[in-house]
Amino acid sequence: MKELSCQLLVIGAGPGGYVCAIRAGQLGLDTVVVEAARPGGVCLTVGCIPSKALIHVAEEYAKAAAAAASGTPFGLHAPPPELDLAQAVSWKEGIVERLTLGVAQLLKRAGVKSVAGWARFRDGKTVEVETATGPQVIRAENVVIATGSTPVELPALPFGGKVISSSEALKLTRPPERLVVVGAGYIGLELGTAFAKLGSRVTVVEAEDRILPQWDRELTRPVAKRLETLGVEIILRAKARRLSSDATALVVETAEGEERRLPADQVLVTVGRRPLVEGWGLEELDLDRDGPFLRIDGQCRTSMRGVYAIGDVTGEPMLAHRAMAQGHMVAEILADKPRAWDTRAIPAVCFTDPEVVCVGLSPEEARATGREIRLGQFPFSANGRAMTLGADAGGSDAGFVRVVARADNHLVLGVQAVGPGVSELSAAFILAIEMGARLEDIAGTIHAHPTQSEAFPEAALKALGQGLHV
Amino acid sequence: MSEQKAYDLVVIGGGPGGYVCAIRAAQLGMKVACVEKRGTLGGTCLNIGCIPSKALLQASEKFEEANHSLAKFGVKLGKVSLDLPTMLEHKDSVVDSNVKGIEFLFKKNKIDWLKGAGRITAPGTVEVDGESVSAKNIVIATGSTHVDLPGLDVDEERIVSSTGALTLEKVPKHLVVIGGGYIGLEMGSVWQRLGAKVTVVEFLDRIVPGMDGEIAKTFQRVLKKQGMTFKLATKVTGAKTKRSGVTLTMEPAKGGEAENLDCDVVLVAVGRKPYVEGLGLEEVGVELDERGRVKVDGSYRTNVEGIHAIGDVIPGPMLAHKAEEEGAALAEILAGQPGHVNYDTVPGIVYTWPEVASVGKTEEELKEAGVEYRVGKFPFTANGRARAMNSTDGMVKILADKATDRILGAHILGPEAGTLIHEVVVAMEFGGSAEDLARSFHGHPTLNEAVKEAALAVHGRPLHI
Ligand SMILES: Cc1cc2nc3c(=O)[nH]c(=O)nc-3n(C[C@H](O)[C@H](O)[C@H](O)COP(=O)(O)OP(=O)(O)OC[C@H]3O[C@@H](n4cnc5c(N)ncnc54)[C@H](O)[C@@H]3O)c2cc1C
Ligand SMILES: Cc1cc2nc3c(=O)[nH]c(=O)nc-3n(C[C@H](O)[C@H](O)[C@H](O)COP(=O)(O)OP(=O)(O)OC[C@H]3O[C@@H](n4cnc5c(N)ncnc54)[C@H](O)[C@@H]3O)c2cc1C
Repeated sequence: MKELSCQLLVIGAGPGGYVCAIRAGQLGLDTVVVEAARPGGVCLTVGCIPSKALIHVAEEYAKAAAAAASGTPFGLHAPPPELDLAQAVSWKEGIVERLTLGVAQLLKRAGVKSVAGWARFRDGKTVEVETATGPQVIRAENVVIATGSTPVELPALPFGGKVISSSEALKLTRPPERLVVVGAGYIGLELGTAFAKLGSRVTVVEAEDRILPQWDRELTRPVAKRLETLGVEIILRAKARRLSSDATALVVETAEGEERRLPADQVLVTVGRRPLVEGWGLEELDLDRDGPFLRIDGQCRTSMRGVYAIGDVTGEPMLAHRAMAQGHMVAEILADKPRAWDTRAIPAVCFTDPEVVCVGLSPEEARATGREIRLGQFPFSANGRAMTLGADAGGSDAGFVRVVARADNHLVLGVQAVGPGVSELSAAFILAIEMGARLEDIAGTIHAHPTQSEAFPEAALKALGQGLHV
Repeated sequence: MSEQKAYDLVVIGGGPGGYVCAIRAAQLGMKVACVEKRGTLGGTCLNIGCIPSKALLQASEKFEEANHSLAKFGVKLGKVSLDLPTMLEHKDSVVDSNVKGIEFLFKKNKIDWLKGAGRITAPGTVEVDGESVSAKNIVIATGSTHVDLPGLDVDEERIVSSTGALTLEKVPKHLVVIGGGYIGLEMGSVWQRLGAKVTVVEFLDRIVPGMDGEIAKTFQRVLKKQGMTFKLATKVTGAKTKRSGVTLTMEPAKGGEAENLDCDVVLVAVGRKPYVEGLGLEEVGVELDERGRVKVDGSYRTNVEGIHAIGDVIPGPMLAHKAEEEGAALAEILAGQPGHVNYDTVPGIVYTWPEVASVGKTEEELKEAGVEYRVGKFPFTANGRARAMNSTDGMVKILADKATDRILGAHILGPEAGTLIHEVVVAMEFGGSAEDLARSFHGHPTLNEAVKEAALAVHGRPLHI
């Protein structure tokens, strides 16, 4: 049996694992990364990137279709567009291919050794990998577990046949005529919206009493409105029960306790993701758990010395940028740099239509701290750039930027936004919070005209009672 | 004679500088009037500048996109046809709702709009169409107008300024843009997307003077790829207008053989100059500098007590947000508050596709000042969101002080550059370092991540390239 030893062994080359390995390589650590599938993990292969590519295609198609149907305010006349989803999927695959190859190259350039295969712990320092050329044993001074997550399966609706997860949804080469989405979290709504735009009749079933239940109603209202205009039916406080016996419909139990049949050509189950903690020998290590996740401290240490864990396997928020930041930090800790988890703001971005961004505390969370707060909200309907983009219609449904601050010293605690393109406003919000900005700081920073970014200082001015353009 | 109306503040000019100053002053309790001779408020920016140009840029971009970029990812479209009058009407309606918005804000803040041309007859007195009002303080916010080129008479039909370029009745076959600044490139992009062949003639040997040289060069390459033709280091010496079009004569800037260029429309976009005509500045003794700009001190005071000036009419970048910030700061100063504008962090944006945005110093400026700096760059080809949007031209470039790591400048050529720059503006406002940017969260997958990577690259350790 081949044997290999190294200073750092990373298990899983998703965004958490590959960033950790690259940074460790840059810092001169002798590093090995093991990956069973393609480098890049869920994020690059079946998550963030492919989903955003599909969303982009759907958006462009829908715009072209709307222009053909009812003309544009700009005076462009177009015949109805035709959709070749198979081509779109192969375009998307091309992107995934380039990015995963890119990650492989980056690892190589940083001096990281990649081993392809499934890793299994023998003990806290030794891992065995099933590679194509036989088993490989790797001994390491430190190990980072970055095994990520997988979609949650509903016992009554196992994946297979008509019941698919987000991974299969991203590979469909024709939009299903009728698509039922179970779960109105961000993944379900992003994909549901995309398919609605591509021409599917979409129904969304959600157990809670609103869509995107982790965020406040005001913030998600424009999304709900848009889904309505796209013709998506939302069934709230309902539970998916089973596939009908002829497999042509999903049977749900409504709020009233009645059973309802929802005809479906495809049922997409997006009820969450769970940490991948099986099959790699967790039982050999007996690590402490935090619910289903691996328990970590402020430096991503697990309960076993020399064993770290990062990314989706360690808990919420299960987001790629959290995984990357953890990976980055752990590599620096292992290179003896004084680092600890000290972030004030992890952004959450939802790429629905319109997009939603949450950074820091929501008004509710801020109030719960017991302090008095101030809110300032500025609608895109009063923003010149939004008007020139044709994104100002519908009053508050056109979206807004909202700033949450302490009433006593005006320290900004949170920023939320909903509206077209707000994902790209998020970095300025995050930085403001990271740097301890007060409302006056934001209001006093020159924002270029005409941009959607101007809504940020305007919201701060509103919170100060000095709104200029509203 | 009826009693003369008395105000705490009279602002002359209802552009972004003037109207923001008026609103902020009214909020602070002053009795305010604003003089504007145009039939609508909002100045150059809302009527014939930023807003209408951006409306056309947006609409023409859709046209371009529909015709060229969708097929790649499986959205197939037949021929898209253009109804130019409707496109121009759309632009007018955007302008209309914007200027009405300002009128509404004036009413809400109880600001009197004195319609007509204002003239300062004495310190403390402004005459509007023969009627005088008194003012404790006067603000000159009369903005700017386009610069003419000797030998070319702007008729706004064949030979147009940016104003005429916003209302061309048909798409020219060949449009020559004189001046490779941002206004010329934006308007040139509009008509090129709508089907015109566009040639840009520029006196200097580069486009967008003042922009970071490397970014400008890459920008030119991208525009060239889109089909724009450039004649740099070339001087236009004259024009002959015929019924069929215009023949321009030009020669190398350094001198040499003259040549002719035929086209149907010429856009003269060689810059803007302060506008103070008919204001009576000479009579009241307000001093101008050598370039005809109103001279002010750090608190926007002219040399005449009680007369102030802001916006395009004073030195500094001729940008709407600079005018607005000055307007707000001046109102606060007049109310006894410490109003202040940080000129080190004024962002500038070119709304082509891809966009260009910058803040702070360029590499050339730093070299000239002898500042030691580090550069971090990151291309959009290595950014996942840019790939998913099929828009990978361009890069982020960050300049930081070599010793302290403080961010000195940022220059972005790429999708949504105008939005991405604001993160750096906020960071610079806080005296932030490249490391501050590099260690802040950036949502995934966003274009913002390219800024983070460029900040990491300042220290030679980008992750994704
Ligand atoms: C449809 C969808 C859209 C999403 N969109 C976004 C978004 O827009 N923004 C965002 O921030 N997040 C998004 N996410 C979430 C994001 O993909 C995850 O948070 C991120 O991928 C987590 O990174 P990770 O490194 O922890 O794990 P993963 O990406 O799950 O990677 C783990 C890797 O480890 C490998 N592995 C596991 N066990 C072993 C083993 N024993 N041996 C060898 N290899 C192993 C796996 O093959 C996998 O490649 C999305 C997810 C989905 C499904
Ligand atoms: C085509 C074009 C595109 C542009 N795009 C952008 C952009 O994208 N972003 C940006 O930041 N900037 C842009 N600008 C520049 C921007 O328009 C100016 O910087 C801004 O308008 C300056 O504001 P201001 O208040 O100083 O003056 P102005 O907006 O010029 O307003 C001055 C007003 O004063 C009035 N006036 C003058 N004299 C008198 C008088 N005696 N009595 C009464 N009224 C008077 C005029 O009628 C005018 O309405 C653009 C300009 C042009 C031409």
